[in-house]
Amino acid sequence: MTATAETAPRDRPRRRIRVEGWRWAGRVFLVFMLLYTALPMIWMLITSIKSGFAATQFPPQWWPDEPTLASYQKLLDPQNSVGQDFLRFFWNSLFVSTVTTILSVIVAVPAAYAFSRFSFPGRNFLFFAVLLRNMFPAVIFLVPLFILMRAIGLVNTHGSLVLTYLTFGLPLAIWLLKGFYDNIPVQLEQAARIDGATRFQAFILIVMPLSTPGIIATAIYSFIGAWNEYIYAYTFLSKNDQLTLPVGIQRFFSENTTDFPGLMAASFMMSVPVVVLFLVLQRYFVRALTEGAVKH
Amino acid sequence: MLREVWEHRADYAYVLPAITVMLIVIAYPIYYTIELSFFKTPPGLQLRDKSFIGFDNYTAILTSEVFWKVTWNTLIWTLGSTLISFVLGFGAALALHRDFVGRGVLRAILIIPWVISAVAASYIWKWIYHSDFGIIGAVLVGLGLADRPPNFIDNVSTVLPSLIVVNIWREFPFAMIMMMAGLQTVPEQLLRAAEVDGANAWQRFWHVTFPHLRNVSTVTILLLAVANFNSFIIPWIMTGGGPSNASHIWITHIYELAFGRQRWGVASAYSVLLFLILMMLGYFYVRALTGNERKEGGA
Repeated sequence: MTATAETAPRDRPRRRIRVEGWRWAGRVFLVFMLLYTALPMIWMLITSIKSGFAATQFPPQWWPDEPTLASYQKLLDPQNSVGQDFLRFFWNSLFVSTVTTILSVIVAVPAAYAFSRFSFPGRNFLFFAVLLRNMFPAVIFLVPLFILMRAIGLVNTHGSLVLTYLTFGLPLAIWLLKGFYDNIPVQLEQAARIDGATRFQAFILIVMPLSTPGIIATAIYSFIGAWNEYIYAYTFLSKNDQLTLPVGIQRFFSENTTDFPGLMAASFMMSVPVVVLFLVLQRYFVRALTEGAVKH
Repeated sequence: MLREVWEHRADYAYVLPAITVMLIVIAYPIYYTIELSFFKTPPGLQLRDKSFIGFDNYTAILTSEVFWKVTWNTLIWTLGSTLISFVLGFGAALALHRDFVGRGVLRAILIIPWVISAVAASYIWKWIYHSDFGIIGAVLVGLGLADRPPNFIDNVSTVLPSLIVVNIWREFPFAMIMMMAGLQTVPEQLLRAAEVDGANAWQRFWHVTFPHLRNVSTVTILLLAVANFNSFIIPWIMTGGGPSNASHIWITHIYELAFGRQRWGVASAYSVLLFLILMMLGYFYVRALTGNERKEGGA
């Protein structure tokens, strides 16, 4: 202790320099990451307001000579066929993602609660079986699921997508929510039940409100997952009016390979809903991870 | 055992919906894939005409040249993407841990690539890499580093690294979020105590922060590794596996075998092999997750 006190005055300036060094390294690193992250997105936006001619020039116009919103107008105009398709894909994606989200919450909440509160035979086995779903790629399930969906008549319907999307939302949802329920003291529920509440009432009135951040995080995760999903939609749907955005955009631009401004505008508009949703609710997401998954 | 199950029958009602969905969508496909892998299947989905051929599909795979090429690609893709994403994400989480003006905005911007669809990301980067009008090529030519725009994607030696850059772009934010959450659980007092005892920034990181993050790190790396091993969209949209298989990884290869060439039996055998590899990764995953609980129980 005395040794530290003696050497401290001599050490301090050098140590501050070293800490400053780390901080500067951190800043430089963050600037690099910012450029890496943001530049592609900025270039997408700049390209989307170019004309097709301006986009295909070399060297490129860093900022378009004549910025135009023509690509956006074309995609959002219900009068022409491109706009009709795009708006329909958009609506399909919204429908599928919303239904998936609602169902995942309805299914995940009771399951997570049971995994957290009850001890029944096979509990651990079932819990890890659910988690293991995360391990397997979509492709493994594609062929059998395609055959299954065809057998139960769901091919070319949005039901086939909702059913499959449920399963990749569920593992993380159950895991996150279980962490939440683990952290809510059982005594709170017991108190409510002594006051005459049923188990269900205690769950709805006490546990649900306390786990709202977890439920919101679960919902965001399911929605984004469903919104961005590509491979099942690509395999299960073939009718044009059923397609969701990722597949619809791919189909459309494999026919119009040179319309880069249109492609960038479509990519941008496809990203807006999920990005906005995430940015508005991100603090719940990080909180849910901290409380639910990481801390324990 | 059975009586115990019966006594807890009400508890199962809570997990029943989740388990039912999982059974339909997971257990049945797994069984069916294993079955198909032992059959020779005709093209089209007229699977009634399949005939049993034992392990022929497996030997055909293991002796083919494409298999080793694709496996090598998958290895580079998975290791490269996972390690670099983790390091970048961890670094960003550390740099963002201390409060400063604009931290929230910066964090939000860094997360965006993770949220946007991989299809959109593939198209954005395909445009950036474009061999005639791509911005990277234009910058390189503008700086005099190249005579003409390099062709990143249609080139056997650059295609895989180029795609890995795209994958990392989309994936490092996940590592960042996980590690940010982890960093919040490191007790402030310990760090301050270490500082009082004369530990420098690096020592504090290595002896206090890092040990606390070991579990989160393991889970993050495993989740990244699994996700990368299973990725499909970026190579599929950007290159379709080409040129000459240089960017085919297992999943895209299986997809092409099944839905492109309609060789369901071989594709199923591939899936089963993939499965075995993933089960090994899964073992570590479960151990990392339960390690958490066991330690807690012991403490």
